[in-house]
Amino acid sequence: MPMADPLLVFTDVEHRHRLPAPKPWKPWATRPGAGVHCVNLSLYSGCVLGLIGPNGAGKTTLLRMMAGVLPLQGGTVTGHIKTSTSGEVVDLRTWAGHMPEQVRWQGRSTVTETLHQLSEMRGQSSQRLDQLLTLVGLHDRADEPLDNLSQGMRQRLSIAAALLGSPRVLLLDEPFNGLDPVAAEAFAGLVRRLAEKGVSVVISSHMVTQLEGLIDRIALMHRGQLLDEGPLEEVERRLDLEGRYQLRGKGDLRSTKVLEELGNDVLSWEQDDETWTVILRGDHHNALKIGLDSGLEVMSWAPLRPNLVEWLCAATGMSFDDISLEVSSSAMLPLQTMEVNEDE
Amino acid sequence: MSDLRRVLRVARRIRIDRLANIRLKVMLPILLLFLPGLAWGFSDPNIVLPGGHQPDTAMEVLFYASLGVVFGATMCAVLMAFDGVSKDRASGMLEVQLAQPMPRAHQAAALIIGHAQAILLPVYALLLITVVVVNHRMDAWPSLTEMLVYAVSTGLIVLWYTLFALLASTTAREQGTAVAFGVGVWFFFTFLWALITSMVAYASGVSVGEANDPAWVALEGMLDLLSPNGVYHHLLETQLPTVDRGVAAWQSWLAALLWTVLPWWALHRRMERLVP
Repeated sequence: MPMADPLLVFTDVEHRHRLPAPKPWKPWATRPGAGVHCVNLSLYSGCVLGLIGPNGAGKTTLLRMMAGVLPLQGGTVTGHIKTSTSGEVVDLRTWAGHMPEQVRWQGRSTVTETLHQLSEMRGQSSQRLDQLLTLVGLHDRADEPLDNLSQGMRQRLSIAAALLGSPRVLLLDEPFNGLDPVAAEAFAGLVRRLAEKGVSVVISSHMVTQLEGLIDRIALMHRGQLLDEGPLEEVERRLDLEGRYQLRGKGDLRSTKVLEELGNDVLSWEQDDETWTVILRGDHHNALKIGLDSGLEVMSWAPLRPNLVEWLCAATGMSFDDISLEVSSSAMLPLQTMEVNEDE
Repeated sequence: MSDLRRVLRVARRIRIDRLANIRLKVMLPILLLFLPGLAWGFSDPNIVLPGGHQPDTAMEVLFYASLGVVFGATMCAVLMAFDGVSKDRASGMLEVQLAQPMPRAHQAAALIIGHAQAILLPVYALLLITVVVVNHRMDAWPSLTEMLVYAVSTGLIVLWYTLFALLASTTAREQGTAVAFGVGVWFFFTFLWALITSMVAYASGVSVGEANDPAWVALEGMLDLLSPNGVYHHLLETQLPTVDRGVAAWQSWLAALLWTVLPWWALHRRMERLVP
């Protein structure tokens, strides 16, 4: 999609969490720990940005910084209201609606009362609450106490809270957690509608497949840094991950000359008892023809999107084994050398 | 919407939520026993207190009945406010609140006012009953000034303990620590302060507990300025002309101001740095 001028531009933004580092003479001492380091990112009106990365990559920290919940320890944020007007953003909270990961809404207050309270905190009237509740599918539950809400309903309430005050930027932290497939599809539809209305949406996830078909741009995070960012196809091209296809079928692949004929186009292949899978790149029409002409039964033929580990491998140059181990241990050390005295 | 109006509206929501809390319903009978109950006992015409003293004015009875405030209302403040922040932090609701474009100083003010109001509403209602009980038993009303000082002092001590509990709530990552801190502070000033006073007196060569020794009275009076409960009693003593512990009224009010401003400022600072 053609990109207009960015709505918000984050330049070299940084936030490092403080970790306890007690000393005998100063038990309350802290030191800088993991966080987000030197991130440059632009948010566009009407664009859905997928912020992907493994656990501990810094996605939540970055979203909290964008929401104004965590202070920027470095860098600047510039806001562009119109093409001609721009300036440094003083309070990001007036721009952004933030939906944190897994809010356990609880208490005897009803859904409406809770949203009323948050509206009052924004200094706004609650006139549009009915519309908002209808939009997120909570209209019938408006008078329900928070304690009675299901997980899916709580997620809907979280997005309703994020939409209060019609924010220009919507920040969603792992919004698909706890949603059943039906609710997830409805949620994706809602995100698309909001983007069509010009809202800039940022969705963080460690599950790339959940974001397929929903995001326009992708930002890849690892160890508190932004590894790459841009339109999905462009980033795939840059990282040499585009144009991959998966061919699946029944029969014994090894008894045919399919693999020989496909030659260097084959990236990997697998043969189970009855089925086979080939992942390849190149002339996909030709590959399909070879598959069909071989006499084997072709069950499916589809473009293949990279998964999270493949994205990370491509962006960092690390091997699959190394990156898998690192992701599973949620490594938090920055990639770049940080010139900060850790004993501060 | 003006900032003050916004703060008061948010405080109102907190107050309503807290007033409906089951903890308050548990505390109410205790407060009923402590406030009108103590006043009923101290206004007995035949009562003789240790030392042979007999309270003979309404204010004196209210002064003795203020023990109920020190023991009951302050504990109520701790129990109502210890999870004022930590509960929302644990549930994730705090992050939603902090993401709203309301200055954190205002959010802190709303928290303090909302919680203090929730505790003070029943306490003030019971204090009114206390005054009526005293009148019924002694056929005497406290003067308007005495009532005003009593109400303001009680409001202040409840506010101080609310501030302590909220401070603990912003600092603690889980609610057990917050309640332990709040109850610990309450226990320290309510029970252990006498021990601290005795130790300082012993170290200073002053006879401990000698009510007729001016050195002990003066030392105890000065040390009480360092305790919220002591300041509370100093404020009430400004309305008891027979009591002189060497602390002027302005000193008591100044100490009250410091006990209000310092924890408020500390809580404000904590809120500014709070990470969800």
